[in-house]
Amino acid sequence: MNYNNLTTRHFEGALAAGVLTGRGVRRGAAGGRSQGTWVQFDMRIDSSKPVQTLEAVRFLAFACPHVIAVSDWIAQTALGREAKPVLPESVQSLRERFDVPIEKLGRLLIVEDAWIAAVSSPYRP
Amino acid sequence: MTASMTNQGTAAHGRRTAPVYLDYAATTPVDPRVAAAMAECLTQEGAFGNPGSASHDYGDAANALVEAARREVAAAVGAEPEDIIWTSGATEANNLALFGIAAYYRDTGRHIVTVRTEHKAVLDPCRELERRGWRVTYLVPDRGGVLDPAEVAAALQPDTTLVSVMHVNNEIGVIQDIAAIAAVCAAHGTVRLHVDAAQSVGKCEVEFDRLGVDLMSLSAHKAYGPKGVGALVVSRKRGVQLRALQFGGGQERNLRSGTIATHQVVGMGTAFALAAATREPEALRIALLRDRLWRGLDALGGALRNGDAAHSVAHLLNVSFEDVEGESLLAAVRSSIAVSTGSACTSATQEPSYVLRALGRDERLAESSLRFSLGRFSTEADVEAAVAAVLRAVTRLRRIAGDPQARGGHELQ
Repeated sequence: MNYNNLTTRHFEGALAAGVLTGRGVRRGAAGGRSQGTWVQFDMRIDSSKPVQTLEAVRFLAFACPHVIAVSDWIAQTALGREAKPVLPESVQSLRERFDVPIEKLGRLLIVEDAWIAAVSSPYRP
Repeated sequence: MTASMTNQGTAAHGRRTAPVYLDYAATTPVDPRVAAAMAECLTQEGAFGNPGSASHDYGDAANALVEAARREVAAAVGAEPEDIIWTSGATEANNLALFGIAAYYRDTGRHIVTVRTEHKAVLDPCRELERRGWRVTYLVPDRGGVLDPAEVAAALQPDTTLVSVMHVNNEIGVIQDIAAIAAVCAAHGTVRLHVDAAQSVGKCEVEFDRLGVDLMSLSAHKAYGPKGVGALVVSRKRGVQLRALQFGGGQERNLRSGTIATHQVVGMGTAFALAAATREPEALRIALLRDRLWRGLDALGGALRNGDAAHSVAHLLNVSFEDVEGESLLAAVRSSIAVSTGSACTSATQEPSYVLRALGRDERLAESSLRFSLGRFSTEADVEAAVAAVLRAVTRLRRIAGDPQARGGHELQ
């Protein structure tokens, strides 16, 4: 399998890999290890502003290089943006940006599900 | 990238170090002595003649080299020179054996016995024969990959014409008890035994006649010979008959027509002679490297060795890594080491190894397996580099995947 430069950079770097702890952290996950793809997002939201913005985002992934790279890119790109139950970019755009084979589309949907689950998880002050 | 068989220290000069080659079971580099012998057959000054041309000295010179190579290959596998039928490789040899026997004995029986862990070059012809009306029984080895000869005996039917069992498995390195399986076939009477020995030469003893084998497939490029040449050994003294698959000249006892590629068979002969001469010391040296590699990987934790170690060749080590996704593992190590997941032929499809699945490994562990195969040019430095690369990759991927025990979520602090 060949990967484009963006995928390689985010797979090898994975700078946003990890977890967040403490008050106000929201967490959501999707997929399963037994299925071969599992993704979790942690996010801390700044609620002091009129528009809730993402203050910190981390991810964990048991997944192929494409999913790890996409998750890492999302975690970094979403910083400072409004916390919404939609990805910073559509699954189709992500597929093109990272040159993800069409047969892996289902794995990107798991990334999207994990993101939505995190944003939608109950806020704990 | 300039490939290197050893771990060159080019990083000191600011250039990228070539990955350490640990995929000798996929193919081997041509030994320089083999390349030199081949080169002598290619130019005007060498034996470039058609070995089938009996009307002049050029043909005679080439034919003499071809027959010398035939003797070398036969000697390396304990066969008679007249048993050797040159082919383009082990895949063609397997096809000739299976389709050739099936066609010749089609009126006396249409049942074949083989094993689920065979190479695709045997399994795919079996599938094709099933489409043409043959029945095939696929035996399942034990969890270590070893086939019980009693399973073969139990599978034989009155119309069984062929049993096909590989000698050394290309993914896990397990050696089958061919002598015992041959005895089972002999006791049955008319059934013929074909053995795919593509991985065997130079790795373990191969005694075609003594084992009582009827047909054996060989490959040059697994033993430091060139790609594009192999042989099917067909026992004359055992009266084995098969039908040709290609026609047009009647070479090779009418079983494989076509001009013989002198340089290729000379390369195979030289490679097999070298393999036979160096087998024992090389196997001892490589076994030490393999053990060192396994100790290094085992220290990581969650590393599971695939295949029965007590019945394996020295050069191959197949390991599954827990809590690591397979494609990511391969991607993470590929700049440092050249290894395979499953067999090289199936790696491109990114499917979990059917061999490991047949051994009972679950899909995840089958996917997260790496096949390390060492060879003539492997060094201690290569092994150390491989261990370091895998430790680095597995540790990083496990960190990215989080603690498996906590994956169900934990209370927020």
